[in-house]
Amino acid sequence: MQIQVARRRIADAGAAGDNQDRGPARPKLGETVMQKTRALSLSRRHLLAGGAALGVGAGLAGGRGLIAPARAAGRTLTIADVGVGDPGGDWSRFEKPTGNQVNLVSIGNAPSAVLNQLIAGGGRSAFDVINIVGGMQKPLVDNDLILELDRGQLPNWQGNSYIERYLAPRTPGFQFIGYQDKIYGVPTVLQGDSFAYLPDETGQLDSYGALFDPKFKGFVALEDNYTTAGQKTALFLKHSGQAQITDPADMTPAEVKTVVDFLVARKQAGQFRLMWSSFEQAVNLITSKEVHVIDCWEPMVFAAKAKGHDAVYAAPKEGYLLWAMGAYVVNNPDQSEADRKATYQLLNFMLGPWYGAKITLLRGYMTNPKAPEYAKAHPDEFSPQEAARIAEITAGVQKKFEQGGTWQNRWPTHVDVYEEEWQRFKSA
Amino acid sequence: MHSRRWRRPLRLAPLGLPLLAIAFLILCPLAITLAVSLFEKKGFWIRPALSFEAYRLFFDGVRLEVLERSFWVASSSTALMLLIAYPIAYLVTYRLRPELTRGVLFLFAVPFLVSYIVRTFAWADLLSRTGFINRLLIASGLVRQPVDWLLYSDFAVYLGLVTAHMPFMIFPIWLALSAIDRRLLEASWVLGERPSATFWRVTLPLSLPGLFAAAIFGFVGSFGEVAVSRILGGTGYQLLGNAIGSALDVLNYPLAAAVSTIATGLMLALLLLWYRLFDVRLFLGKIMGRA
Amino acid sequence: MTGAAVLRRRVAGALLWLFLGLVLLFLYGPLLPPAIHSFEGTSGAGPLRNYMLIFEDARLLRALRVSAIVGALVALIAPVLALLAAEAARIWRPRLVIGILLIPLFVPGVSMGLATALLFQILGLKPSLLTITAVQVLWALPFAFLVILTALSGFDQVYLEAAYMAGAGRLRAFFEVELPQIRQGILGAALFSLILSFNETIRTTVVQGGYNTVQTFLWSQYQQIGLSPPLFALMTLMIAVTLALLALLALLDWRRRHAG
Repeated sequence: MQIQVARRRIADAGAAGDNQDRGPARPKLGETVMQKTRALSLSRRHLLAGGAALGVGAGLAGGRGLIAPARAAGRTLTIADVGVGDPGGDWSRFEKPTGNQVNLVSIGNAPSAVLNQLIAGGGRSAFDVINIVGGMQKPLVDNDLILELDRGQLPNWQGNSYIERYLAPRTPGFQFIGYQDKIYGVPTVLQGDSFAYLPDETGQLDSYGALFDPKFKGFVALEDNYTTAGQKTALFLKHSGQAQITDPADMTPAEVKTVVDFLVARKQAGQFRLMWSSFEQAVNLITSKEVHVIDCWEPMVFAAKAKGHDAVYAAPKEGYLLWAMGAYVVNNPDQSEADRKATYQLLNFMLGPWYGAKITLLRGYMTNPKAPEYAKAHPDEFSPQEAARIAEITAGVQKKFEQGGTWQNRWPTHVDVYEEEWQRFKSA
Repeated sequence: MHSRRWRRPLRLAPLGLPLLAIAFLILCPLAITLAVSLFEKKGFWIRPALSFEAYRLFFDGVRLEVLERSFWVASSSTALMLLIAYPIAYLVTYRLRPELTRGVLFLFAVPFLVSYIVRTFAWADLLSRTGFINRLLIASGLVRQPVDWLLYSDFAVYLGLVTAHMPFMIFPIWLALSAIDRRLLEASWVLGERPSATFWRVTLPLSLPGLFAAAIFGFVGSFGEVAVSRILGGTGYQLLGNAIGSALDVLNYPLAAAVSTIATGLMLALLLLWYRLFDVRLFLGKIMGRA
Repeated sequence: MTGAAVLRRRVAGALLWLFLGLVLLFLYGPLLPPAIHSFEGTSGAGPLRNYMLIFEDARLLRALRVSAIVGALVALIAPVLALLAAEAARIWRPRLVIGILLIPLFVPGVSMGLATALLFQILGLKPSLLTITAVQVLWALPFAFLVILTALSGFDQVYLEAAYMAGAGRLRAFFEVELPQIRQGILGAALFSLILSFNETIRTTVVQGGYNTVQTFLWSQYQQIGLSPPLFALMTLMIAVTLALLALLALLDWRRRHAG
């Protein structure tokens, strides 16, 4: 109060000598307000108005044309992909023969990311195809988000031996492309996961037990995902006889609790350095030697090797965690007959040899049987080293499938319990 | 003068309509969240109902601890950030040459051009066992082995939070400080107060609006944090945002909505507390005659 | 002042400067690893190869365009709306208005994004640049609002009264008296909104539909396939360009001051 009064007195006295050499210009009371600011007012008003008009106009009207691929003679297909299915941005071998265009949008792989996009985010009308790790058919079908596949429109489906061998109906692999005996997904990628280690630090390892071995305390990382890390732990516990688990792919609540109890005990003993949740992070962990044993995906080992580091992807005696990626047709209410036809053309292309070879080369996953021969037969598109690499990768993954293990289950019956228990593990 | 304004309701439209639109867009999602939290989980979607199942699940489970921890981390990191941001704002206002002010403030904004997720990962890089800082410490002989607690620990999380949110706080404090009439400070000196007393009794109280705005920015940023806890936290450092994401991953929308509603409710309660302790009218311009 | 007091003041000043330097170091430190990564994998092709590759990545360029357009829109719309709301708060129920405007701050990001997306669906709005902009404006609005409020708190309504007494109408008084004084606050709010829009990831991922912003693109890449050196190059380039612009502005300022 005292200060306000003092201030009024000073102001009223019309103190000359403005001591403020900083901050916005304050018109003195003695001066006419208008004189001081007239010069600025006009330009500012115009700037604000003009800028707003420009921005809104350009953004809404022109923006679409600037950004969305122009509607050429063919259709424009939008595919939502988790990053794996992108052949380096080069869809020319699809676009040229069919006259269609492909617009690829990156989305996350977590169930919530996928479903949120489709259910809440209006993604149904935005996407034609969605290419994600399979196993999510139940929520997708129950929510009317994907359509059953019309295999008649996919010539490349016949003769794809992988589908017959690994993804046949009534086998666990079917879960990745089908649901209730109907087929929904086009298997674009097949793979088996285990874990990676640095042989210089740990020597040769051949069992998931290495992840829990006190020898490597504080130098182990797990993936923050109960359907991968959790399932691998269950596989290990079952094989080593430490727990009674009927099927690691679909555990009962009691079994889940046992697995998590085990993990919590190891965590509290300081076994794990961290839980990782992204590709980049995992690769860094390997190349920086932050951890010596890490539950991860094979492409990370490839990336680390490419940077010159010696990492090995293990061949554990308990077997691998097998999975496949599926491309699904989105139940898009805005799709016309022509769009639908173009969609099947795209899916067929993704089952094709060139796409398969490209993806195998770029990501290190197995795709379709014709890929290695195609690469070898087309030295103009794939150099001999690349073709050899593709063949090597394919052979490696096939070996994994021969050995078997457990098929990853992205949507177990008691997934709620999985999630609750995993939270318990993380908060322990 | 004032009555002339009120006799022209048309004048109010430019203000009223946008406000209505904004209120609509803000309150509807809130209402939807509240509604969904009371629905029942049916398969993978929800069914309208009036059920407190989601809330029961929350309070019975481990998520309550997550809430407590989030609250504690947010409060303590906000206090820390204020202690850092205030001196900087003070420095920029009172000790910096005027020409440099804008430039220095921009300097604090520039790092935000790089996604804060990338910057958080960069911290993981720098703090790792073979990272720059550990290498420096070992090379200088201060430690013999890499320091483990630099990363995947509380230290790392607080560091991540501070570097991600603190710069936001400098600006409101600076705004408030620079708006203080210099003559008030001079009056205080003229009346015989020492510089430190001038600060405590004049500068600080007058800068309170900016301080509170900064505190809100900081608290809200830390409370809703998702990435820092995942990247720098280590073995499952869980904050509220992570718990919500996890519930969503199993499509338990009611549970996710319930956690959100509780979080929102808590923060609104804090807001009400702020209202009580603080005259909001101070924000709306200096009004003559009021203390 | 006594010699000891002068010394104390100098030391205090020096400490404050040291503190500032330290904080800036902590803020800029994390920018080094991306810069270093941006030069990776360029053996034989020249160190700036990754920077060239930015312009060859069509998806990245598309995402950049989306981010730029949306960012500009948000930086224009959010401060204007915030200003309107602040003026409204002066006239009618300040606490209610402030409370409503601040709500988006208090709702966790992912739920707000989802709920807003659901609202758009109910309203029949398809995902587009409009929905992305709307979601980001709603997020930036409380920040812009608080910044403008802080600016308003330093503005003495006495000047408005003086303007009215001199015969100006409400609008004119606003533009010629109030605006110049809160100009810094508005510009700050615009800058805040731009920064927030550019950094926004979680809410945008839900409503983006067929578009990617730079952040959602990076987020997806980070999670599933890792970042390639050109992406790091992009970030480093943006920092370098901005710092260069800042230096240019500072130089122009300096020239202006010493020329006139």
